[in-house]
Amino acid sequence: MTSVAGTPTITFTVNGNIESHVGDPFQRLATILRDEFGLIGTKIGCDAGDCGACTVLLDGRQVCACMIPLGQIDGTEIVTVEGLGSSDNLAALQRSFLHHGAAQCGICTPGMLIAATELLAKDAMPSKAMVEDALGGVLCRCTGYIKIVDAVVDAHQFLAPPVADSPTSETVGTPHPRVDGNAKVTGQDLFGADGAPSDALWLRPVRSPHARAVFKLGNLDAFCTAHPGLEAVLTAADVPGENSFGVYPDLKDQPVFADGAVRYRGEVVLALVGKRTAVEAIQFDALPIKWRVEDPVTGVTAATATEAPAVHISHPDNILVEGGLRKGNIDAGFTAAAAISEGQIQTAFVEHAYIEPEAGFAKRVGNRIEITACTQAPYMDLDECARVLGVGKDAVRIIPSACGGGFGGKLDVSLQPLLAIAAWRLQKPVRCIYTRVESMASSTKRHPATIQARAAADQEGKLLAIEMTADFNTGAYASWGPTVADRVPVHGSGPYFVPNVQIQTRSIYTNEPPAGAFRGFGVPQAAILQEQLYDDLALELGIDPFEFRYRNAIRAGLPTATGQKLEASVGLVKCLDALQPHWNKSRAEAARQNENHGGSRRRGVGIGCMWYGCGNTSMSNPSEIRISVSNSGRVTLFNGAVDIGQGSYTVILQICAEALGLPPSEFDLVHGDTDRTPDAGKTSASRQTFVTGKAAYLAGRDLRSQILRLANAGEDANIARHGSTLRVRDTGHETTIDLTDLPAIDEHGTVLTGKGRFDPPTTPLDENGQGNPYATFGFAAQIADLEVDMELGTVHLHRIIAAHDVGRAINPSLVEGQIHGGIAQGIGLALMEEYIPGRTENLHDYLIPTFGDIPEIDVLLIEDEEPLGPYGAKGIGEPALIPTPPAIFGAIRHATGVKVTRVPLLPHRLLEALKSHDA
Amino acid sequence: MLREFELDLPGDLQETLTRLPGGTPLAGGTNLLVDLRARREEAKRLVWLGNIEAFRDIKIDKAHVAIGGGTTVGDILRNSAMIDAAPSLVGAARVFGGQMVRNQATVAGNVCSGSPAADTVPPLLSLDAEICLASSTGVRSVPIDSFYSGFKKNQRKQDELITGLSWSVPGPSTANLFYKLARRKGDAITVVGVAVTVTRDGDRCSDARIALGAVAPTVFRAKDAEAMLTDQPLTEELIDEAARAAMAQSNPIDDIRASADYRRHTVHMLTRRLIGQAWRSLAGKEADK
Repeated sequence: MTSVAGTPTITFTVNGNIESHVGDPFQRLATILRDEFGLIGTKIGCDAGDCGACTVLLDGRQVCACMIPLGQIDGTEIVTVEGLGSSDNLAALQRSFLHHGAAQCGICTPGMLIAATELLAKDAMPSKAMVEDALGGVLCRCTGYIKIVDAVVDAHQFLAPPVADSPTSETVGTPHPRVDGNAKVTGQDLFGADGAPSDALWLRPVRSPHARAVFKLGNLDAFCTAHPGLEAVLTAADVPGENSFGVYPDLKDQPVFADGAVRYRGEVVLALVGKRTAVEAIQFDALPIKWRVEDPVTGVTAATATEAPAVHISHPDNILVEGGLRKGNIDAGFTAAAAISEGQIQTAFVEHAYIEPEAGFAKRVGNRIEITACTQAPYMDLDECARVLGVGKDAVRIIPSACGGGFGGKLDVSLQPLLAIAAWRLQKPVRCIYTRVESMASSTKRHPATIQARAAADQEGKLLAIEMTADFNTGAYASWGPTVADRVPVHGSGPYFVPNVQIQTRSIYTNEPPAGAFRGFGVPQAAILQEQLYDDLALELGIDPFEFRYRNAIRAGLPTATGQKLEASVGLVKCLDALQPHWNKSRAEAARQNENHGGSRRRGVGIGCMWYGCGNTSMSNPSEIRISVSNSGRVTLFNGAVDIGQGSYTVILQICAEALGLPPSEFDLVHGDTDRTPDAGKTSASRQTFVTGKAAYLAGRDLRSQILRLANAGEDANIARHGSTLRVRDTGHETTIDLTDLPAIDEHGTVLTGKGRFDPPTTPLDENGQGNPYATFGFAAQIADLEVDMELGTVHLHRIIAAHDVGRAINPSLVEGQIHGGIAQGIGLALMEEYIPGRTENLHDYLIPTFGDIPEIDVLLIEDEEPLGPYGAKGIGEPALIPTPPAIFGAIRHATGVKVTRVPLLPHRLLEALKSHDA
Repeated sequence: MLREFELDLPGDLQETLTRLPGGTPLAGGTNLLVDLRARREEAKRLVWLGNIEAFRDIKIDKAHVAIGGGTTVGDILRNSAMIDAAPSLVGAARVFGGQMVRNQATVAGNVCSGSPAADTVPPLLSLDAEICLASSTGVRSVPIDSFYSGFKKNQRKQDELITGLSWSVPGPSTANLFYKLARRKGDAITVVGVAVTVTRDGDRCSDARIALGAVAPTVFRAKDAEAMLTDQPLTEELIDEAARAAMAQSNPIDDIRASADYRRHTVHMLTRRLIGQAWRSLAGKEADK
């Protein structure tokens, strides 16, 4: 092609097809592939070459499609994930991904597959190290990378054509492949950015660059007229209902559009709606906004100073909420102590860093609004959007898209109210995709915690008391701040029997990003200090830290800090039993190594334990599941438990299938849609397997008993479906139910419906925080084995051994995936991740762990069955992360003697601590 | 959204050089495109270099290496002769971004960006590379040691293009190493980068080059330290002393990645480690003679 400066024709092949494109040679390949060729398997996670989600092959080599101007690809050959294999003819690598459970949310999967394809073309049987290097530029936030590496290493074993799957009757307890796995490994799952109508207008939120300011808007009508293609500029004045949202019914403190004042950098001031090119071309400085910038309130110390300005006039002291717990007599505990430890820590904001930025679209259908977006909480989205629009809840329909990672960050509404207002006002479909920078600047974060605590034990190493005060920086808006203030007192003494406990928490407003839900609601932060103090006590008393935990571990029948007596499924001791040989071996090896080598590296082995209540704290949080059978023999599972990558669509099906007695392949699946599925609550609080899973079990049993009644068969009868009949075989005789004979109860021909509802039993907490906040708890203990480079302050993880009491592993592969991913996030929290507003709003300044940062992980699944749970199961999402940082810090301390006081323990902080420790 | 750019797609080197005046060369774009999108860089017209014939050629003979201006970091890794021809550069290439960035990013682009954290630059300084610059009016060669004049400033004139880099193959008595200290393993901006070249002659170090990245406005050679090592037998004490001199020549900043103190300290540690490692590896070779 010759030199051109206009709009040349560019010819290239995509997945073997010759394509021509006329257009701006500067357009990105990623955009063209998605928008012009409909190849939505190429995902865009950062648009800056940092995440690798858009990786494609260019002449056989992996490149970021977001970094390739179209003008460069004339005459080249492009391969996208769609070119690897189709859903009915998967490539070996894709089948290996499915088999290994290497895709969780699936947003990074196409990039991983493409990067692996370049490697496998060169070497069909690569080593793990080669895989880690070749895929090292693609970020994953869900899996912890281990299953991805395994899948690529093993891909050659899937080269033979697949044998047709024989329908299996085994369901619960087997590693059933993800039901949405095929769509994920082919890149065809529709995420928030993928399914918008082609005529949708583009919405671009305009955000405050200031953490605290008041502002005035100029003539927006004139501005709109002056910008062809811009259809509307929406502001607080355009909100039809209430301009506020929030997760608590009585705490709607966050505006959809800031109304004259902004409280954090990243807050929405207005929204530009129109043609994409038009709204994107508008420069921030051109907007008629007059700012008066004020000094922001930064950090909890400044926020609680007497002269601090209020972030909200409703809370003049900036204290959003206080929480607390009082058990026994704290002073008596310390008076009787043989050893007392004290400490304090400061943690940072942590970004969820899901690889899918917030995205979605909305359309108005008559006098209803339909919103499709990535979310963890469709019913909460529905309630919020109805309030914001000022319409009844029956006028809102939420259809969750596939969710490219959430981890708590997609529990709050983000763009849903903006889309709802725009589509409602303009009566046209409207879409929006947050940029990476905007996602990071505006979304909720893990609460920075400022924690002081002391603990006491007697001569035998029995814990006597723990006292803790914790301030959580909840940022500009409440979000889940009250939840953190409530969760931490319950969990703050750790999974141990402690007779005297006093814990006080506060959630404090600042002019910083709203801190919300993030895998553990404050418990991971508190666990770091609590576990450190117990290590202190063990050391002081000359007791091995493992033994110390064993002696104090909570056991069935002992009261918790809230006075709750857990009678079953208290599996910490079993976790410790499983870890004991590993502990002994690793500690002995470490001692030998440190003795023999004088070099700059010291090895350390530490342990962290945790407990975590499944479900909401002392609150009703029911889930409902429905199954229908139609007169044509269709069995449909209506499951509203949004799968954000963890696998709830699969697990709920497994439970339901087992309870009903039909194989999973018999089910049609309807997911998420608030018009069609009953409310299964939020995907949060490690509740979906336990709560919705139980509802699914009950629904399955309900339908089963109806069928057995129709057939007059006994409990153990076998049910099979043949066309539109059900055949029920009881000892020796078979009854056929002709479904076409049954009366249909709706227009879909439904003849039978099974329903299940479960609300975990809890009691309210009294003024001392006493009561039964959760129906069940997950338990875990993890060992970290690592080396510290004493000269560089760097930490080199060798191995994490994770023992988790999950009650029952409904799907062991998915459970392992959760544990790997939780550990990876725990590593990030402990050693790497620190969100600084305005400074780390992208994925090269904000680092999350990548392949090379994840050590070997051994997962030991402990199944101490929970009688309330479905087949004994309880949650794993948050428990996976919580023990990792304490285990790492315990190991660093074992290696070096240094106690963490500031998290993350970046190399320069560790080095400073090493210096002052030696001094 | 990118601003309206003109993208120039010249067909060969001569045409490229005539288009360069007033234009900005675009190679892999892994820095430039990001900076343009974030509006950290301004450019009206970009001149794409991808059509220049043989621009990615790598020539290695017994004594000499020459790479074309379009050579990507991935090309360095794929050339099996490079491990002996530029061990430190291969070391840097292995920890340079992800593979999809290595496949796009060019060595010359990394050199030209002038970032003090550019990973290929300490190795090229430790190899004493020459930079070949061409414009429509002529060709000149600049030693990389005198290429940088300040933060993101260098000797390339606006109408010039880096058409190649060259250096001498380290001999059997020379060790050439690189270490990148970063906050995660792979695909992270460098906190401190150190490249060393040590040549041994009998019991003495006949030549030493120490290049430090991310600890000053530009990558630079720690010549005080080099001078201390030259023509000396390298004892642990001397190596430590030289490493301290390298630290003294560093002038790092505090940023989100690390404190200045930490950078200074790790320059000391890493220089000591790498020189020691290089010296010991050569001691082994001496014994084999």
